[in-house]
Amino acid sequence: MTLEVEGVTAGYTREVPILQGVDLTAQQGLVTVIIGPNGAGKSTLLKVIYGYLEPRAGDVRHFGKSIIGLEPKDMLNEGIAYLIQGHSVFPKMTVHENLELGAWTLGGDRAAVQAAFEEVYDHYPRLKEKRSQLAGVLSGGEQRMLELARLTMTSPRTILLDEPSVGLMPKLVDTVYDEIARLKEKKYTILMVDQNVKKSMEIADYVYVLQLGQNRHDGPQQDFIERLPEIIREWI
Amino acid sequence: MDLDLLLNPIILSEILLQGMVRGSMYALMGCGLSLIFGLMGVKNFSHGEFFMLGTYMMYFVAVMMDMPFLAGIFAAAVVLFIFGMLVERSLIATLRKRAGRDWLLDAFVLTIGMMVVMQNLALLIFGSRRRGIARLVEGSVDIGPISITLERLTILLVAVLVVIVLWAFIKYTRTGKAIRATGQDPDAAQTLGIDVNRVYTYTFGIGAALAGIAGGLLISIFPAYPTVGFQPVIKSIAVVILGGLGNVPGAIAAGLLLGVIEAYSLFFFAAGWQNVITAILVVLVLMVRPYGLFSSAKGERP
Amino acid sequence: MSAVAYPEKPAFLREVTFWRVVKVLILLGFLIFVPFYSDSRFITTVFISAVMFGVFAAIYDLMIGYGGLINFGYAGFIAAGAYTSALAWFHFGISPWIGMFLGGVMCAVLGFLLGVISLRLRGLYLALMTFFVGEAIRFSIANTPEYTRGMLGLSVAPLPDLFGISFARGELLNYYYLLLVMGAAIMIFMTVLVRSKFGLAFKAMREDQLATESLGISTTRYKLYNFTIASFLTGILAGFYAHYLGILSPTPEEFGVPKTVQILTITYVGGRGTLWGSLFSGFLLIGFQEYFRALGAWRLVMFGALLIFVMLYARRGLAGLKKYVW
Repeated sequence: MTLEVEGVTAGYTREVPILQGVDLTAQQGLVTVIIGPNGAGKSTLLKVIYGYLEPRAGDVRHFGKSIIGLEPKDMLNEGIAYLIQGHSVFPKMTVHENLELGAWTLGGDRAAVQAAFEEVYDHYPRLKEKRSQLAGVLSGGEQRMLELARLTMTSPRTILLDEPSVGLMPKLVDTVYDEIARLKEKKYTILMVDQNVKKSMEIADYVYVLQLGQNRHDGPQQDFIERLPEIIREWI
Repeated sequence: MDLDLLLNPIILSEILLQGMVRGSMYALMGCGLSLIFGLMGVKNFSHGEFFMLGTYMMYFVAVMMDMPFLAGIFAAAVVLFIFGMLVERSLIATLRKRAGRDWLLDAFVLTIGMMVVMQNLALLIFGSRRRGIARLVEGSVDIGPISITLERLTILLVAVLVVIVLWAFIKYTRTGKAIRATGQDPDAAQTLGIDVNRVYTYTFGIGAALAGIAGGLLISIFPAYPTVGFQPVIKSIAVVILGGLGNVPGAIAAGLLLGVIEAYSLFFFAAGWQNVITAILVVLVLMVRPYGLFSSAKGERP
Repeated sequence: MSAVAYPEKPAFLREVTFWRVVKVLILLGFLIFVPFYSDSRFITTVFISAVMFGVFAAIYDLMIGYGGLINFGYAGFIAAGAYTSALAWFHFGISPWIGMFLGGVMCAVLGFLLGVISLRLRGLYLALMTFFVGEAIRFSIANTPEYTRGMLGLSVAPLPDLFGISFARGELLNYYYLLLVMGAAIMIFMTVLVRSKFGLAFKAMREDQLATESLGISTTRYKLYNFTIASFLTGILAGFYAHYLGILSPTPEEFGVPKTVQILTITYVGGRGTLWGSLFSGFLLIGFQEYFRALGAWRLVMFGALLIFVMLYARRGLAGLKKYVW
């Protein structure tokens, strides 16, 4: 098991737990998608995994090691990278500088940084072309591509994505899912929260449905395809 | 106002040169303030007192310990860097982490409290006597028909040098990149493993160090005394507004502009009115272009 | 619960409880009789300063505590009011009793203009705008010595006698009681104001400008009301200040940042959004300052530290202590 979440209960105030005993696992080379209605606690779960919110109960393990309460720097060293919701490129810095910041935790290891650059530019020739442009002038799709590329600079094993297609024009949404599919081929473990249920089903391998902070359903993607309308009806 | 004087090219260029010297000082003072503002949105009203500490450091090192003036500037930079970091860690960070509504306004008021404390502590410790250095460097040079003292030239050169070093630091070093990234998107910077709290602390230290350097460098114009920081802080706030809050290159350009405008108004109006002109200029800019003369981005709503 | 419907008392009467009446009477007694029976010029001077700055701070609170509007050039407005009254007498021989009112009008006009030019600004930007406006007022006074005598200082006449009461220089008690009447009028006016729909609009504007706009309340209009009213009250009190003080000069200590900071500190220590808290902290801070004159600059160090402390740990100021002591 790459990533295991076990009985996690968490919330911002003592009285109102957002997550109540959530269990989840994500495996290498697979895309695990978390869906659910608004307020189900999907994004909160990612925050708990990345150490932004300490759970009141339960455990989060990465390759068997508990990672609760680690700083982002240590998370990256453990091989976990996290794409927050919304735009997160640094608009007034160049594409190259943005990627460089992705390799921040590699520190002074020039060889590792160089190798990461080569791999990313190899994988994303568009970014190589535009390396000295300011990230703010890229198109919306290219910015998202840069964000995904930046995540891979530290060669993580697990990638957490929070709503990767939100706020993009419909025709760009497809490109984003294509990019995620390409990351999957490279054997990353991908855990993704998504509102776009239909599109995410196309690349999902395993699906979790959260409702009111609790596990509602889970199963392999093929089991879900038919049940989907029925599940979504439950939310309303 | 005399039209002959107004059109005399030698006098005009002499004033222009004086204005540039003046402007380089303003730019230097505005840089630190703008850097802090750009990163964390904090308007540091005690910037003038950091400047004041810089003048005292210069006096101790260059006069009392009889060392070269560059050592004084260096000492001012180091001491203020450490002092600024301590202030951020102990005071500003407490407010920042609470980050409630209007915390920036609260931080502004907090720095006003710091101003009062530092001014009066300085008064208690050093007394109100002015301790200055008449000249850092003796002599003057002629550039064409214009004569400029080496003193002023030194100020201009050191200011330019410091600004270039600052620019290169922000542009090329690892810490500089972390500062820019944090200023643009602190949440994203944090997910990449950048310790944003440390970045804030460093930046505050650097801003304070710039004020200290300005204080040390300008001791022949602003001798060390407890309330010496008042004029400089007004000028640097003006420069920061004119240049666009948080826009460091804008602050430099605005510093030069303000210096030249003041030099002309000093020459053509009675002394004292340059302050009114500065104030009116700032008020106009805040009315018409609150994001500054040199910023086009309207990203942050005033 | 009894189902009998009691006749509703008017809102303001419901707030009149026995203990409130007692408290107010105790305070009034303190304010009225202590200077009278102490028969000490020192005590009377301290009471004058405390009430005057307490009320200035309360007016400041009307802006910052209710409207969320920070006026960092406040001392410049005090200067405008003080100089208007003083110069009206000096150049045109206008009675200071009318002059004080003119000072109020002058400040109201300036406050209105300030509101107009800073319509779009909030928070820090407003602080900076007001700061430069205040400094521009002060520098303009300093730079026109032919009218204002600039830094040389302008001598101001004492108030002329009124209804047979003498306001000659030495009549401190009479000045004090006049101030008490003016201060009470201002405080009562502001208390009524903040409880009216104006107060509600001010607070809404302070909490959330956009949400307030969406309710159809014009924040720009209430911003103008707030600045204009607060400035008018400031101008009137500033007129008193000028004639009581007897000499004006546009130094920073008198009409610049240090003065603004002093008043702002009283407001913040008293507790923003309370009006009356400022009066208490006025007594506390001015009393402390005058009583411990021997401490010199240490007093200001303590004030600065107090302001820092309030910002960090006691954002409600003295008002946060109210439930324990009063």
